[in-house]
Amino acid sequence: MDTALNELKEIVIDALGSSVLDSQLANDELSIVINRDDVPRVLKYLRDDVNCQFKLLLDICGVDYPEREERFDVVYNLLSLVHNRRIRVKTRTAGDPVPSATEIFSTAGWFERECWDMYGVPFLGNPDLRRILTDYGFEGHPLRKDFPLSGFVEIRYDDEKKRVVYEPTKLTQDFRSFDFLSPWDGQEPLLPGDEKAEGEGA
Amino acid sequence: MGVEPKTPQVPAMEQDVLMSQVNDDNMNERGFVVANIDKVVNFARTSSLWPMTFGLACCAVEMIHAYMPRYDLDRFGVVPRPSPRQSDVIIVAGTLTNKMAPAFRKVYDQMSEPRWVISMGSCANGGGYYHYSYAVVRGCDRVVPVDVYVPGCPPTAEALVYGVLQLQKKIKRTGTLFR
Amino acid sequence: MSQNQIKNMTLNFGPQHPAAHGVLRMVLEMDGEIIDRADPHIGLLHRGTEKLIENKTYQQSTPYFDRLDYVAPQNQEHAFVLAAEKLLGVEVPERAQYIRVLYCEIGRILNHILNVASYAMDVGAMTPMLWSFEDREHLMEFCERVCGARMHMNYFRIGGVARDLPDGLTDDILAWTEKFPQMITDMETLLTENRIFKQRTVDVAVVSAEQAYDWGFTGPNLRASGIAWDLRKSQPYDAYAKMDFDVPVGKNGDCYDRYLCRMMEMRESLKIIRQSILEMPEGPIKSTDRRVCPPSREEMKTSMEGLIHHFKLMTEGVNVPAGETYTAVEAPKGEFAVYLVSDGTNKPYRCKIRAPGFAHLQAMDMMCEGHMLADAVAVIGSIDVVFGEIDR
Repeated sequence: MDTALNELKEIVIDALGSSVLDSQLANDELSIVINRDDVPRVLKYLRDDVNCQFKLLLDICGVDYPEREERFDVVYNLLSLVHNRRIRVKTRTAGDPVPSATEIFSTAGWFERECWDMYGVPFLGNPDLRRILTDYGFEGHPLRKDFPLSGFVEIRYDDEKKRVVYEPTKLTQDFRSFDFLSPWDGQEPLLPGDEKAEGEGA
Repeated sequence: MGVEPKTPQVPAMEQDVLMSQVNDDNMNERGFVVANIDKVVNFARTSSLWPMTFGLACCAVEMIHAYMPRYDLDRFGVVPRPSPRQSDVIIVAGTLTNKMAPAFRKVYDQMSEPRWVISMGSCANGGGYYHYSYAVVRGCDRVVPVDVYVPGCPPTAEALVYGVLQLQKKIKRTGTLFR
Repeated sequence: MSQNQIKNMTLNFGPQHPAAHGVLRMVLEMDGEIIDRADPHIGLLHRGTEKLIENKTYQQSTPYFDRLDYVAPQNQEHAFVLAAEKLLGVEVPERAQYIRVLYCEIGRILNHILNVASYAMDVGAMTPMLWSFEDREHLMEFCERVCGARMHMNYFRIGGVARDLPDGLTDDILAWTEKFPQMITDMETLLTENRIFKQRTVDVAVVSAEQAYDWGFTGPNLRASGIAWDLRKSQPYDAYAKMDFDVPVGKNGDCYDRYLCRMMEMRESLKIIRQSILEMPEGPIKSTDRRVCPPSREEMKTSMEGLIHHFKLMTEGVNVPAGETYTAVEAPKGEFAVYLVSDGTNKPYRCKIRAPGFAHLQAMDMMCEGHMLADAVAVIGSIDVVFGEIDR
């Protein structure tokens, strides 16, 4: 399994050349990082080439790494039935549009809409880029790391206005998030008395 | 003169005499039954509660199981109706999301009085497992007034049957002819 | 004669609809009775599962997976647990693997019963639902005996399963597998050769192999279009490599073929259930890896180390090494996969859930075009969508 994936990695990197920025083989899974603009070309190659034949696009998702410059990762997961292999194609963007994959795989339509909805990554060429999962007038992109878990607005029915209204979120009990990392490394804030030990004493 | 009636008719004057003989003690023997109108109406209302099928999420599967032969709700007169205009009670089974809330309220408004709401499952009771989410209404009682809450995640079909019976008791207890 | 402008009528199907299988809102543009375009609006059950999972530990997020495809909850948990085990490098003991396969197949039968029965109800036949749900009750009884909950089991854990099977359960399951084929036969007698059922399903929404690839179909929908692909055979996980079963493949790719695929898959699942019970080895049901699995209750209550171990695992949780994985299982509806990115802490950094229904529902436009309104109902039933997993 490993050698076959290694060979595939070599073939793909040879054929795609400068589009591939990085590649990684871990846990029996191959993933390559490509240039944002080369997405359609790479996906077409992976779908049509005899050695690859990744005919099924299974998933497009986004990942948010806010510390990075290009904070969003767009990840395409493909499957080849003929060779019984999977490959992961990643691109990075800071919010700049990514060319759409709908020309190559029709199934990409909704996945790209979801990525746009959840992260705010626009896809150039998607025939129908609008919100898919969140509410009709929703503002914001929920899966970004800076979007709070409970959102900004919540719903209630107002008897006077005779309709459902949005109000700022007010939780009766906050979400209890415990930081359970081991107390021996990285505990903040220090226990009372620790400053004295750090500062003057020992 | 018209058609001859089959049962022998007692002429009017004699009817008056008969009626004056009826008093509290011999009412039953004379063939009269007395009941409280409220109680009769409540009996009718509880014995044929028709819920609307409002299955949203996982609780819908347990709700379907409650209609199926093992925990048959049909024997209580409970027949699921797809239309809000034809139903008395709405069983909110599942998570109510922000996107679904206006549609839900609309459907509730389309139900005719008297109407009741059974909130089934912890998501409908108070947001449940998804309470802290940005897209979930923290309990369907933010949108409609609820009569019976059935706890569980999901409540077993048996628990839902118990909840329906509790609603019947509540109607018998608090129901009035005029709302 | 004046020129009349003819516009298509827009019909709103749902979100509250008895045949909508949950909350689906479809905006149909109709030319009379024929559908020109179908635009499904989803998100009416979007609960923010992925965001919630990013804030909870691995043990706390496993139940979210139960609530995705709520007709066969165990299969979804399986994907998440396999993904976490892959990143951790934990070996699952054999007995646990067999138990997992057993419950996965129970989930498959649960799903197919519900799908076929409610599909039949949607196209007008009320009896199969009433007959077959009794078997669903039996299966839910088996689920309850092992973990206490009829539906959302939270039984698959990282490293194995939560508890061992109680005595007598395997005998009861075997006895049930003797009686169930008769139920499948009864349903087939009612539906398979039924003139009305065939008129409503044959040649409705034909999906060719090329279209199935293009639209990302997996599972029975893909197999009905003639493509022989089953993850249990091609990329086996847990004890599937040792199981002996066939995979039904269809020819035409219409609704009738999808229905037949599911009926036959039920029979194959029975074979797997019998085999897994008869061949189940004795042994531990949880990995012995201390980082991942809590100690037994007895050890927790009697020894101090056991108590601390249990406490650390239940509060802090498992620290999964940094990495990412895309793990797929053959869920009853198709390929259910989890793309798990971990940053080394006890909470997942990103957990993307790839639901099969998402891709299948997207193809509604392609499948409903040219068909009539009543066929839209038949198509929704036959592609087997459930909104818990589509909207997450």
